[in-house]
Amino acid sequence: MSDAELILDEEEELSLLETLDHVLDRGLVIAGEVTIAVADVDLVYLGLNVLLGSVETVNRVLGAREQRLEYLRGLKPGGEGARPEGGR
Amino acid sequence: MTRLYAYCVGDDLAAETVEGASGVAGSPLVLFRRGPLAVVASPFDGKAVPATRENVLEHSRVNGLVLARTTPLPFRFGTLVDERRLQEHLERNEAALLAALGRVRGCVEMGAKVIWDAAAQSEGGGESEDEGPASPASPRGAGTAFLLAKRRALEGAEALKGRAEELAALLAARLEGLARESSVEVNPAGSLVVRAAHLVARGREAEYRERLRALGREREDLRLMLSGPWPPYSFGPQRAERA
Repeated sequence: MSDAELILDEEEELSLLETLDHVLDRGLVIAGEVTIAVADVDLVYLGLNVLLGSVETVNRVLGAREQRLEYLRGLKPGGEGARPEGGR
Repeated sequence: MTRLYAYCVGDDLAAETVEGASGVAGSPLVLFRRGPLAVVASPFDGKAVPATRENVLEHSRVNGLVLARTTPLPFRFGTLVDERRLQEHLERNEAALLAALGRVRGCVEMGAKVIWDAAAQSEGGGESEDEGPASPASPRGAGTAFLLAKRRALEGAEALKGRAEELAALLAARLEGLARESSVEVNPAGSLVVRAAHLVARGREAEYRERLRALGREREDLRLMLSGPWPPYSFGPQRAERA
């Protein structure tokens, strides 16, 4: 992967993190009606972490993410049922 | 059971904004109207919405589609509700929703995260070297050293909190006359010390970015991550409850 591709990937990741920061943690809530199935545990983990993380932390998380994805690929990803309350 | 996945609510949404468009799981967008309010929604089969990258981006894309026309109040990702419950919600909260829509009208949300190397600051934090008469030979030495270390930690935390609040004030000063409302969360525990959202009139997004980029150029110890325009995720009627 070239440096340019790497930078683009990181920008896309940070853009996704900003989106997660907004849509998972903010916005109108109808009490008891936010229901998230954790089909992608890693995605939610990243989204929640960005709230408290720094760019350095995020970069570290992104690095760890690769390892976790490898691990999760060896298992069955978390199925429906878990219900984080759409926030922290 | 088919329920509605809700994206956003508005008081001036036009049917053509969502006509022919689809949302999460490829379902067609519909307008659910009750009184003066309308919710952009799409039918959804299932008990819960998978938090996949694709679905999160769909939620954001649909709200972006509406934001291109007007300023709605967006729902949080994963809001799945049956029609009766949605109707009740709109009826019970009509006044608060209309008031919030009035506040954000003509505006968009812009975001700024200020990143500052808190660890470096606390290490060189300038604590007093005057640590009193304790010495390793003193019978009180270990206890005194422990308490002094505690005191330093508390002073460090206080200094970080003060610094974070100072940064929040700095942002407010730089955005004077531009940010109609602010929502600022201070988090002195980590490197990300300020997470701010600002309500800015449409057409002034570039000015927002320019003012804060200028701040970033002046202050090399700060890193700013700017984002937007967003629908006003941080300026709904529940904002007061979050504080």
